[in-house]
Amino acid sequence: MPRIEYYFRETASGLRRNGIVAFAAMSTAFIALFLFGLALLIGRQLSLVIDAYTRNVEVAIYLTDPVKEDVRVNLEQTLLELPAVAEVEYENKQQAYERFRDLYRNQPTIVENTDPDAIPASLRVKLNDTAQYDQVAAAMGCAPNLETGQVECTQPGVREVRDYSDLLDRLSTINRVLSRGILFIAILMLASAVALVANTLRMGMFARRREIGIMRLVGATNWRIRTPFLIEGLVETLIGGGLAIVFLFLMKVAFVDRLRGQIAFLPLIRNSDVIAIAPWIAIVAVLIALIAGLIGMRRFLDV
Amino acid sequence: MISLQHVSKAYPKGVVALDDVSIEIEKGEFVFLVGPSGSGKSTSLRLLTREEEPTGGEVYVAGKNLERLSSWGGVPKLRRNIGSVFQDFKLLQDKTVFENVAFALEVIGKPKHVTDSRVPEILDYVGLGDKLNNYPDELSGGEQQRVSIARACVNRPLVLLADEPTGNLDPNTSVDIMRLLDKVNKIGTTVVMATHDQAIVDAMRKRVIELDKGKVVRDQSRGVYS
Repeated sequence: MPRIEYYFRETASGLRRNGIVAFAAMSTAFIALFLFGLALLIGRQLSLVIDAYTRNVEVAIYLTDPVKEDVRVNLEQTLLELPAVAEVEYENKQQAYERFRDLYRNQPTIVENTDPDAIPASLRVKLNDTAQYDQVAAAMGCAPNLETGQVECTQPGVREVRDYSDLLDRLSTINRVLSRGILFIAILMLASAVALVANTLRMGMFARRREIGIMRLVGATNWRIRTPFLIEGLVETLIGGGLAIVFLFLMKVAFVDRLRGQIAFLPLIRNSDVIAIAPWIAIVAVLIALIAGLIGMRRFLDV
Repeated sequence: MISLQHVSKAYPKGVVALDDVSIEIEKGEFVFLVGPSGSGKSTSLRLLTREEEPTGGEVYVAGKNLERLSSWGGVPKLRRNIGSVFQDFKLLQDKTVFENVAFALEVIGKPKHVTDSRVPEILDYVGLGDKLNNYPDELSGGEQQRVSIARACVNRPLVLLADEPTGNLDPNTSVDIMRLLDKVNKIGTTVVMATHDQAIVDAMRKRVIELDKGKVVRDQSRGVYS
């Protein structure tokens, strides 16, 4: 296979000759792709958290003490008539305290300083459609009091309705800010990677202008002349991408895996998440090389 | 084989390199293009390989109108049928004689077995059968020009264009190079050589086309320099 051998040899000698410049291009591609992958992983982590919360989401309706049986049944019926509601479960004060204790088992002082009587009984509502929290609050007659700024509920027996919309809003804000911020930096880095790879190609072509001149003279096609340079760019960005994947994996091991088991009910990204973003990194790496090729060789090689 | 029809070439700053030049060259001819520097000799050669395009008129090589060739396929194909030799040899210093000649075949995608059989054959033909593994800087000027002629001929072109091929060589070496070009011509290759080496033109007694200020002022078979 003389052709493959030819491209391999040309690419290798190009990378050797361009050593430092090729290294700069490669490390920029690495940083850019690392940040790009980081943004993807953070997005995945936060959506795991959001999923975990929304899957178990219950809107909690805290009841006034003491809970009257007929009021409770009445409320349950009202709730079950709502189209958004899937299930209603009553949690009495005893169960509520146990859950509280379980949730804060790592912080015994909080548990010790809390009067079991202070944890209210509640109705825990599971929703068919998590986007429809407000139906529940509306059915309980809850509305913000414009004077005090607090939410008050008119249904008898209802003290407070708490849903997770605040938390979810906050999580998706964090997600948005973090991923966008990182993505923004990643795009800047991607642009510099394109510029640097294009520059190595251009320098490579300049260093080899005599060869290129002779290639044209004897009738080598444009692709024959360009392909070694394109492969050179591809090798640089793909090595950068490979390193980025390795470092993302190491980072996951170093930071995320250490958290595993520390925080109850917090789902964390796994190896499979790192593997799942690898193809995207590879695709972006190829795109960097192609765009750099288009830019770097545009002027140089018109017959 | 080669036909220039009312060809003009003007450069953007108003320099006119060629002015309504018409030349017909048959297959197998040996033609000298003579004239002072700036008379349009080199430009004529560069038009034939489509390194440049005329601003007026038409150029045909091997029956093809060069204007209509695509830069992706047509132009490379044209150049595979034309060998080019220059005053400065244009050899790659980091490649051996063998590699320099093989390069011309490699980059047009010829398989290794073709390279391995044709390169020693052509180097033997130009008289360098024993210098395959030397580097250009180990060779004399005349030997380097032979390598460049071997490279130009290894793909068996229809046309060989030589731009001042003896310009850097002493008279005796020049005669050797002319013998070689004559030999290439004898096997059917059309040779067009731009030169202002009067002694050589006079000695060879081939067709002479004289250019002056971009115009053909003389076209004479079995001619002399002036």
